[in-house]
Amino acid sequence: MLLKSIRFVASMAIVGAVLAADWELHVNATTAALSLLLAILAISAQLGLAEALVTSVAAMLGFNLLFLPPVGRLTIQDPQNWVALAAFLVTAVTASQLSAHARRRAAEAEARRLEIERLYALVQSMMLTGSARKTIREFVNRVVQVFGCTAAAFYYRPTDEFVRSGPESKVVSDHELLAESEVEEVSVDPIRGIAIAPVRLGGRTLGSMALIGSPPSPQMAHAIANLIAITIEKARALEDASHAEAARQSELLKSALLDSLAHDIKTPLTSIKAAVTSLLGSAAGADQELLTIINEEADRLNRLAAEVVEMARIEAGKLHLDKQPVPVAELISGALSELPLKGRPLKLRVPSDLPPAEADRDFAGQVVKQFVENALKYSPEGSPLEISAELKGGKIVIGVGDRGPGIEENERPRIFDKFYRGRRHRFDTKGTGMGLAIAKGIVEAHGERIWVESEPGQGAVFYFSLAASTGGRES
Amino acid sequence: MSAGKILVVDDDPQIRRVMKATLVGHNYEVIEARTGEEALETIPKESPNLILLDMNMPGMGGLETCRAIRSGADTLVIILSVRNTEKDKVAALDAGADDYVTKPFGIEELLARIRAALRRSPSEGGPRSFQLAGLEVDFETRRVRARGADVRLTPKEFELLRYLVGHAGKPVTHRELLQAVWGPDYGDEPEYLRVFINQVRKKIEVNPAKPQYILTVPWVGYQFVEPE
Repeated sequence: MLLKSIRFVASMAIVGAVLAADWELHVNATTAALSLLLAILAISAQLGLAEALVTSVAAMLGFNLLFLPPVGRLTIQDPQNWVALAAFLVTAVTASQLSAHARRRAAEAEARRLEIERLYALVQSMMLTGSARKTIREFVNRVVQVFGCTAAAFYYRPTDEFVRSGPESKVVSDHELLAESEVEEVSVDPIRGIAIAPVRLGGRTLGSMALIGSPPSPQMAHAIANLIAITIEKARALEDASHAEAARQSELLKSALLDSLAHDIKTPLTSIKAAVTSLLGSAAGADQELLTIINEEADRLNRLAAEVVEMARIEAGKLHLDKQPVPVAELISGALSELPLKGRPLKLRVPSDLPPAEADRDFAGQVVKQFVENALKYSPEGSPLEISAELKGGKIVIGVGDRGPGIEENERPRIFDKFYRGRRHRFDTKGTGMGLAIAKGIVEAHGERIWVESEPGQGAVFYFSLAASTGGRES
Repeated sequence: MSAGKILVVDDDPQIRRVMKATLVGHNYEVIEARTGEEALETIPKESPNLILLDMNMPGMGGLETCRAIRSGADTLVIILSVRNTEKDKVAALDAGADDYVTKPFGIEELLARIRAALRRSPSEGGPRSFQLAGLEVDFETRRVRARGADVRLTPKEFELLRYLVGHAGKPVTHRELLQAVWGPDYGDEPEYLRVFINQVRKKIEVNPAKPQYILTVPWVGYQFVEPE
């Protein structure tokens, strides 16, 4: 109020001073009117409409009294008087409106500048952490500081988590945040002093955020929501990338470890085996028997090491298949050449027009070998083996059958499990119990099937399938 | 009198010890190297008849060492390795090795391989030269031209081709071929033969996947045919 009165007094003083100056200088009426107009323009631009209107009237009266003849008397009837008053009033209204508008724009621009400055400060203060969660916590704390709010809250939909800056943020309930994440628009409630905005990136909803205390404009709330969405995504991408890198490193390490394990076990076995076989050549009697045991056990240890490493490689998904067309006859003859058949009768049923299989030769050959080894192990000496290969439904199916005791139905699903041994054979066979599990791992790595059919008492037939090669190659 | 001078290249001292003891016991003269680099220094000084080369060594490694040896000399090389996949065998043979033995091995097997390698090239006689539309072989000068270009066959590959051409039109069994080219101690290594046959096919066939000259006879062996 006091300020207002001072401004009125100041306005009057300006008009008075202008009139006094004009009077002293004996200027003509036109000059006096123009100088008064300038004074009113200045007052309306600087001080406001009310002051300008009052001074317009005062200026008109002063002008009439001092410069319009008859000088020293107020003659309102004079039309010149009305023109001057109208000019003064129009100037006062127009100039004060223009300047008020300009002032408002300046104030708005200033407010926006301040908000952008704060947004920038927020971006600066959000350190790029490697996790979305840390980023949200950081954001909730920072936004309160930077925007001078009392509290902030965030709902993160991917993990269904609510992050709050403190208990003051309870003004906005979990439910409100949840509801906001479903809508598109920012909502600002000046009465409760809150702004809530959905947080989205592209079409994806990340959640919602609420600012409590001095809520920013809806546009600013929207900008903040966009900013946090981008920051969370960046943090997530960083997190994913570092996870993927860590996983890749660990796989590489595993693979290298398996290779060096195989090498490190086989190196001392090489010395043992070379030494003992060398001694075997010249030993006699009991020594011969003992050295034979060392030799056989070295072989067994070697097989065991190979199988453990191979099993580990299968389980780590590190089996590198080099698929190419492989004639099935070569797979079978290769496996047979490596095994002591001990005069077993062999029935082979392999059609000559069978297409080659699309497989890794080493690994597929290993499956056949494992089947034949199993058949030899679990069927009586001298009983025949049957090996067949045929094209069935576009797949090559290879089977190895024996005339052993067969496999009970309840044991069949478990026979391909690691370390599983048939009930009857639990104590009487050598081996690691990994052979069939490895065979299964190899077949499955090819994307194919392995199974057993058996008539208890009649024998068992182990089968596996391989893709038929379409490339074609002489077989 | 020594049966031959053998250089044992292995980074594992125990393996060098047992090899030395055994090979000396079988009348070979044995020298040692711990690394590929050391082996390459030793070879010109000692001129061994045969090199037993470990595949997995720190530094140069067996394959690189083998290639380096091949670029300078015709010394026989047998690669010893704990790996037993076909990929590894092919890599070793591609590097110029004459033979490949998987660790651990029985000493008799290794001695047999050494004896076979040291035996002079087995097959004499047979055709002197041979000419087809896309393939020319001169057995005297050991020159092979396929599709108008010279191709280089290793001694083993060349012997393989010579034997098959000498028996053209007839199937040759795995055993017969192995014994003719490698020696009487061989015969149970069809997968081994396959590696060399594939190598020869790659060098002389237009399409190694659909060979015209060297055909596989399922269950039996291989056969050289003259394409119509």
